[in-house]
Amino acid sequence: MKTIKLIAILFGLLITFSCEDRLDVVPEDSVEAATVFNTRGSINGAVVGIYSKNQSGDLNGMAQLMSDFMSDNVNFVGSFPSLQEVDQYETLATNTSIDNIWLDGYELIGAANNIVQNLPDVDLPDLSATEKAKFIGEAKFLRALTYFQLVNLFAQPYQFAQGSNLGVPLQLQPFLAESELSDFQLERSTVNEVHGLIEQDLLDAIASLPENPTNIAPFGTDGRATAGAARALLSRLYLYREQWSQAADLADQVISSGVFSLTPNYDFYDSNPSSPENLFVALNTPTDGPQEPTISDEVYVNFYNPAPGGRGDAPFSQDLIDTFAAEPGDRRFDELSQAATDAGGNNTFFTTKYPDVVNNASDGMILRMAEMYLTRAEANLRGGTSIGDTPLNDVNAIRARAGLPALGAVDLDAILLERRKEFCFEGHRRMDLLRNNQNLRPGGGPESAPGADKVIFPIVEDEFTNNPNITQNPGNF
Amino acid sequence: MKKKCNWLCLLFLMGMTLSFAQEKTITGLVTDQNNIPLPGVNIVIKGTTTGTQSDFDGNYAISASEGDVLVFSYLGQRTTERTVGASSTLNVQMEEDAQALEEVVVIGYGNQEERKIIQNVGIVKEEAIENLQVVSADQLLQGQSAGTQIVNASGVIGSAAVIRVRGVNSINSGSQPLIVIDGVPITDTEGNTLNRGGNTDINPLSYVNPNDIESLTVLKDAGATSIYGSRGANGVILITTKKGRRNSKTTVTLDVNTQFSESTDVPEILTADEFRQFKSEVATLQQGTPVSPEDLGLGSIGDPGTDWLGGVQRTGISQNYNLGVRGGGEKSSFFFGLDYSDREGFIIGNDQQRAAARINIDTDVTDWLKAGMNLGVTNNRLARVFIENEIDAPFTTAFLQSPVVRAFDDEGNFVQSGSFIPNIFARVALDDRELKTFRVIGNAFTEVTPLPGLTWRSEFGMDRLDTEETTREAEFNSPGGLGQQVSVREERWLTNQTLNYTNTFGDDHNLNVLLGLNYEETMRTRLNVFSTGFLTDDLRNLGSGSTPTVLNGDRFPSRLFGLFSRVSYDYKGKYLVEGSIRRDGSSRFGANNRFGYFWSAAAGWILSEETFIKDLNFFDYLSLRASIGTVGNDRLGTFPSLALYSAGAIADYTGQSGIIPGQPANPDLKWEESETLDIGFKSTMFSGRLNFNVSYFKKTTSDLLLNQVLPPQTGFATISRNIGEMENSGWEFDLSGVIAQTENFNWRLNFNLTTIDNEVLKLNEDAATDAQGRRIIDGPIQRAIEGESLNNFFLIRYVGVNPQTGDAEWLDVNGNITTNPGSADRVVTGSPLPDFSGGITNTIRWGDFDLSVLMNYSYGNDVVIDGLRFADGNDAIGGIVNIRRQNLNYWRQPGDNAFLPSPTSSTFNLFNQRSTQQQLDASYLRLKNVTLGYSLPQKVLDRLGGIFSGVRFYGTATNLFTIKRSEMEGIDPEVTDDIDPLFQGESFFTAPQAKTYSLGARIQF
Repeated sequence: MKTIKLIAILFGLLITFSCEDRLDVVPEDSVEAATVFNTRGSINGAVVGIYSKNQSGDLNGMAQLMSDFMSDNVNFVGSFPSLQEVDQYETLATNTSIDNIWLDGYELIGAANNIVQNLPDVDLPDLSATEKAKFIGEAKFLRALTYFQLVNLFAQPYQFAQGSNLGVPLQLQPFLAESELSDFQLERSTVNEVHGLIEQDLLDAIASLPENPTNIAPFGTDGRATAGAARALLSRLYLYREQWSQAADLADQVISSGVFSLTPNYDFYDSNPSSPENLFVALNTPTDGPQEPTISDEVYVNFYNPAPGGRGDAPFSQDLIDTFAAEPGDRRFDELSQAATDAGGNNTFFTTKYPDVVNNASDGMILRMAEMYLTRAEANLRGGTSIGDTPLNDVNAIRARAGLPALGAVDLDAILLERRKEFCFEGHRRMDLLRNNQNLRPGGGPESAPGADKVIFPIVEDEFTNNPNITQNPGNF
Repeated sequence: MKKKCNWLCLLFLMGMTLSFAQEKTITGLVTDQNNIPLPGVNIVIKGTTTGTQSDFDGNYAISASEGDVLVFSYLGQRTTERTVGASSTLNVQMEEDAQALEEVVVIGYGNQEERKIIQNVGIVKEEAIENLQVVSADQLLQGQSAGTQIVNASGVIGSAAVIRVRGVNSINSGSQPLIVIDGVPITDTEGNTLNRGGNTDINPLSYVNPNDIESLTVLKDAGATSIYGSRGANGVILITTKKGRRNSKTTVTLDVNTQFSESTDVPEILTADEFRQFKSEVATLQQGTPVSPEDLGLGSIGDPGTDWLGGVQRTGISQNYNLGVRGGGEKSSFFFGLDYSDREGFIIGNDQQRAAARINIDTDVTDWLKAGMNLGVTNNRLARVFIENEIDAPFTTAFLQSPVVRAFDDEGNFVQSGSFIPNIFARVALDDRELKTFRVIGNAFTEVTPLPGLTWRSEFGMDRLDTEETTREAEFNSPGGLGQQVSVREERWLTNQTLNYTNTFGDDHNLNVLLGLNYEETMRTRLNVFSTGFLTDDLRNLGSGSTPTVLNGDRFPSRLFGLFSRVSYDYKGKYLVEGSIRRDGSSRFGANNRFGYFWSAAAGWILSEETFIKDLNFFDYLSLRASIGTVGNDRLGTFPSLALYSAGAIADYTGQSGIIPGQPANPDLKWEESETLDIGFKSTMFSGRLNFNVSYFKKTTSDLLLNQVLPPQTGFATISRNIGEMENSGWEFDLSGVIAQTENFNWRLNFNLTTIDNEVLKLNEDAATDAQGRRIIDGPIQRAIEGESLNNFFLIRYVGVNPQTGDAEWLDVNGNITTNPGSADRVVTGSPLPDFSGGITNTIRWGDFDLSVLMNYSYGNDVVIDGLRFADGNDAIGGIVNIRRQNLNYWRQPGDNAFLPSPTSSTFNLFNQRSTQQQLDASYLRLKNVTLGYSLPQKVLDRLGGIFSGVRFYGTATNLFTIKRSEMEGIDPEVTDDIDPLFQGESFFTAPQAKTYSLGARIQF
């Protein structure tokens, strides 16, 4: 009996093994940051990740939607108070909708900075110099795109003070375990400085990105940046800065490259990313999921579409309906709108540019060929040049596609009107009005006039309370 | 040689003496105070290990010698000693132990005599709960124990109760106590609970059949909880399921009941015609010309409309069947439980079927080896509805939907609502949301007693929860249809190895030493897939959709390794000390803080053992105790300390795999630590008729995990750091008494009261600050303030409608009347934390009738019903939503005491902005549970042929009535839509609690 008891106790001691080594458990569904630059695959993944951040509906979707209802394209009838504030030019620094734009923007910039700063020092046998340069070029392109988005929303445009006014903080470092917090509490740089970085990033990107998009299944494109996309964005920067000949020249380079072209039909919205019309879109698919872990933030699709399926918050403004009605037969109205009831119960029209209400995965429109024609037209008109073609021919090319008769002559108003009808619901309108010194609302008061405090967003509360060096925009925020 | 001889002689003589002693067989009958034979009484010869037990008929036989002392002991009876005399027959009548203080109580990793407990534990015994008819185990604790607060989050079946032991001890890491069932700490990760609107998850206690529960022990102070180390900070609830009984006749208990449920409090909202009338009156006044309902597109007076709120409610009918079999022989005992319930909630679409089985068995293999197993299996099918603040939540949508919107056309087909607020009838009827769960909780154990007093207990336990939620939205509601399947499996296996040594030295020194080891591995596996693009609603499953998507497919492993010890010592059962220590290592802690030490020390003095108290002849029992110690909270997430890049859908782009920065590194991350001081006394007076216990506690929690906000330029929103400090202090009072005790009438009253003061001592340095420079955590409704409570409603003060001007008026920050307040006018306006709360239990037995009346109460707390911003006023969501009836009382002329301002006032559309207009006083006293039972008397049972040993018929009503403020008309005071401590006492349109009536019978044979 004693033996049995002894065996039992020994058995017990055996069970009582040391479990301490077993406490080191490694994650199965995340990559430890320390290992990212160890393989070509994970470096490529970190670059793809920046594109994924660019899918954020706050950066590419909501920002454009807000730009459209801050101007005269959308009659916002939704119930979200944070969006109502923006609509009424009563935006406060605590506004959660604009907070997301700022936070998502700097998240993307942080991910891009990590590549731009750390990749140059990495040498791997299977990573060619060309590919390494391409990865860095992609990071710079996306960083430039995001800085441009932020500076357009959170700062007065170049025209306000020839770019000497405050822009946004220029953060170029990634945040690592050993980083000092104070290095991430920078004051805002001026608009010119921000534009300077964007220009340099895009010039670098043009030099290192491929000319042709890469064709992969099932979309016909990998959705990644090309030199043409970088040129297109740079031409937009120059247009906004009134550097007319450079704007016209870059737009012309894109048009004459032959890589992209104006397509005969409006079939490039959503689920046709490889259309030659598209220079760069935030290509959203149901499978790559929402950007935020909990809820889909691609909700702008919801706002643009009526019930059922959508919320019906962002129909056409009456002014935009009237504008299209003034010249009937415009395919951009006839083919790209639907009649429905909005959230307030009114019969009106909705855009069909973002049709995927089921998955909220419509593509975010960023850069496309029509913009190159209209940029070249405007820059040539205002610069008194005719680089590539005349402004009249460029505008008529866009009108011809829309099924409208050719004009005999164009002026700036005609070009801006064409831009409006071409790009409504794509987020250009607010900047087009502001940089041309026009009120955001037809018959609008001082609150929506260019240079008014709340035609731009306040520096968000999260930045303001966590950065003692930051300067808030003027206005009662 | 001579010496040796002497020794041998001595031994020989001793042997002679022994053999010459008159050993004989003593037989006898043991009965209780009513002369009913007692089976299973332990009979031991004092000072030896020789003993026996009485048989089924109360008879015993033991070999003993004249002069030996026989010790008779039995649970609930006063231990009796008899000296063996000349007679070989010794009948003993035992007496009931009035104090019942010698009962053994389950504590952490062991048992203890109740009278010797110097830990602060709340004990809910079998007799307190055996007659309570509840559907979920948490309700057994409601109002029963001081310091334990249970709020049913809503009347939706399956929604979690908010369980708090001594308040909220954490800001971000969960404040629910650890729940341990028969030694198995069950998993309660939020991630396995599939939130559906209103952050109240699936109730972890809904997996335990309440009929299987024998007792619950709530461990409150550090003396009791520090043995659970890094998991004890929120208190621990030990659930002990029913065990078999040795040497007893097998009893079978069958319980069948039917329950009807309906809602408690529902506000009145407008009918379609009232809505039309109201809108047209308001528009007429505002525009100065007559505006008809038709002009507003609301149809004509008399046109059909829909009673949405009526339509989402029903009388739910539920059936419960429960079978328990309990018994045991000389060496083994067993308990089997079977349970089936088919429940219907009072909200359409909300049903549950639960089937559960349990086997608890134990056996003596030899006199030194015992083995056994406790195993419970639950299979649950829940038809879910969204809880609140969701367009799919029936109650939310029924409130908001305009009454003029039709649900059905003239042919009876569903009609689209035309706005983003859907036709909820169609959603519920056509969409399927089914949650199936299967949970096994159990352990197997062996207990070896190699030496007297030394026990080695070895337990292997498991908790496996399989959850599968299937959603299928119909074409009508989601164009293209939508299917989703989420399965979460959470499995834990664990072992507890304990060595326990008990001995008494020199009669007076009692020592108990516990040494233990606890190792646990937990793995949560999640798969979340959805699919869209279904050709027809008849294609039900994901594979039939055109666009299947994997949203999540991941695993979250974690491991815990603890070593612990507890030493208890008492001198003559009078002076008691106890200390415990635990070292916990966890895979969740950062590399620099992998192990944590937790300790406690306690001392007690049983004054009633002292002669100067005995001489008072007043106290039956009186003790003082104090304890101090530390405990931790390890609910930090799975890998909170590592710098991680996230992968998967969130990081991918066009089918290319990507990774994105997920979280920054913090290798110093560790548990949250609470240090608790607890002082109290327990007393029993008037021959056991009155008990009065008081305790005071102060619990300081430091290293609170706060999300330190990072400057946004870092690209990260926050980093988790152990920064904050918080203190909870309070008093607990328990008063219980026997008001009447006669042969036919017995009335026991229990009253408990708890006060808790909460103060935030420290927030992160970079936290936002208020006007006084204090650090705060700000929310739209509440604000945590350093130096003040964690929970302060922080709102603009609403005054009312000025009878003269018809303007709504608020106070600005300086207390002056304003008609245009702003966010700078917010001040502290109330608190969701009660001044005091507790419960009152009455147990009355009158002849064959028994009545139990359970009430709970809360005083001094407020709630904010955020949904009133929509349900009051005229303009929410463009004015398309329905409103409460009191809005008809708008200001028309000077002198009106109106609810709503004048439609022409500039304040008309400001009226329903967030303010104290939505803050209500939620003090209440609620009749929680009334049960009236009637047991057939023995005569009748005999006449029935003696087949049944007991038959009881009963009726139970829950939430029968509630005393509350009139401003709470139509609103349930016991609401919260979030178990997050920062959002306590907030609700949008949480469905109220159910009022239920049930009738049933319990048969025992």
